[in-house]
Amino acid sequence: MKDQVGGNRKRSRFEALCQTLRPDLLRFAFWLSRDRALAEDVVQETMLRAWKAQDSLLDEAAAKPWFLTIVRREFARSFERKRFVTVDVDELVAREEPMLAAAEEQDLAEMRAALFKLPDEYREPLVMQVLMGFSTADIARELGLSGAAVLTRLFRARKQLRVLCGEDTKLDPQE
Amino acid sequence: MMDCARYRRSVLADPGDPDPELREHRAHCPECGPYTEGLLRFESRLDRALKVAVPADPKAKAGWGTGTLAPIEAAAKPPRASALRRRNGWLAMAASVAAAAVVVGGLWLSAAGPSLAADVVTHMAGEPQAWRRTDVPVPSNELQEVLRDSHLTLGAGAGMVSYASSCEFRGHRVPHLVVQTASGPATVMVLVHDHVPKSVRFDEQGYRGVIVPVAGHGSLAVLTRGNDADLAAIERVASRVQDSIVWTG
Repeated sequence: MKDQVGGNRKRSRFEALCQTLRPDLLRFAFWLSRDRALAEDVVQETMLRAWKAQDSLLDEAAAKPWFLTIVRREFARSFERKRFVTVDVDELVAREEPMLAAAEEQDLAEMRAALFKLPDEYREPLVMQVLMGFSTADIARELGLSGAAVLTRLFRARKQLRVLCGEDTKLDPQE
Repeated sequence: MMDCARYRRSVLADPGDPDPELREHRAHCPECGPYTEGLLRFESRLDRALKVAVPADPKAKAGWGTGTLAPIEAAAKPPRASALRRRNGWLAMAASVAAAAVVVGGLWLSAAGPSLAADVVTHMAGEPQAWRRTDVPVPSNELQEVLRDSHLTLGAGAGMVSYASSCEFRGHRVPHLVVQTASGPATVMVLVHDHVPKSVRFDEQGYRGVIVPVAGHGSLAVLTRGNDADLAAIERVASRVQDSIVWTG
């Protein structure tokens, strides 16, 4: 009986964890793919896989990177399953225009459009740092890069983003 | 002393880097101080831009970010099995299987609803970015905005606030703050809708903390990570924060 109570509590906590993390995972998947429908599919599949593998999550404090790793794998799998055609960034921006334009403030819409234009290798670590709260070491571990390489990508990401957003970059350093 | 180019390269890569060398440069350089303030404003905008609204209902594939959808945080409402089943088709299937397994086992045991402390701890898992040890305060306009909806302001006595977010918690938006203390970051949640009759200490899932009653304004949860956290010190933080709150409504 004790085991069943423990099992119910564990399931309940896992459901709560999924619900808590789902929003940021969706956002991460969206910025990774720049495609709402694909982000939904990836996160849905992630939750299913996470549910099946929940026993391998030993520490709830590590849940976010654990889920994020599954999202990234699912995203990679989605590329294996489908053959995506190359899409022009302006087309992507136009396709996601309802979401981009939904920003209450114009500067947020501009920032989102600029984020769409960042190369994947810069956008991903930036989203992991700012949205997901990962440290440089966490990002390096997840992406299989050195800490220095991650910092270089983050530096280039912000530098490009600031130019795209029309920020005053006079004082920004050169590489 | 670190030169300006190196300082700016570092903060462009990680504006929250707590490196003391960076702090010292920022404090003494007449150009890099204002540069950092501008960068933090940019960072705040970037943070808000990344937080796109997404549908609370996993089945709702259309209309992200439109006014017809609940804000994304609605998905973080307290876990209720029935609501969860309604909202999540895939989860409903898994939950049904789990429920069936229990019934087949011969006994249905209804687990007690999660406690307030358990909900606070679960919420923490969703915001690991809040736990960074940093000496960079959250911009004051951002902090005020977070506090405004709960009708309060916070005096300087609370300590340096490095993180502020308005979070969905048990169906209400509440301030989630991180105060930097000598022993590291402490999370503060102002739970104006959750009343507790007396102070409660908790130790769950690697978090230790207290929930203290706030007369007429619900309660205050303060917690830190780590099983060796000093609960008496956490209570002192709670007391200091409580003393610094000015209720405006």
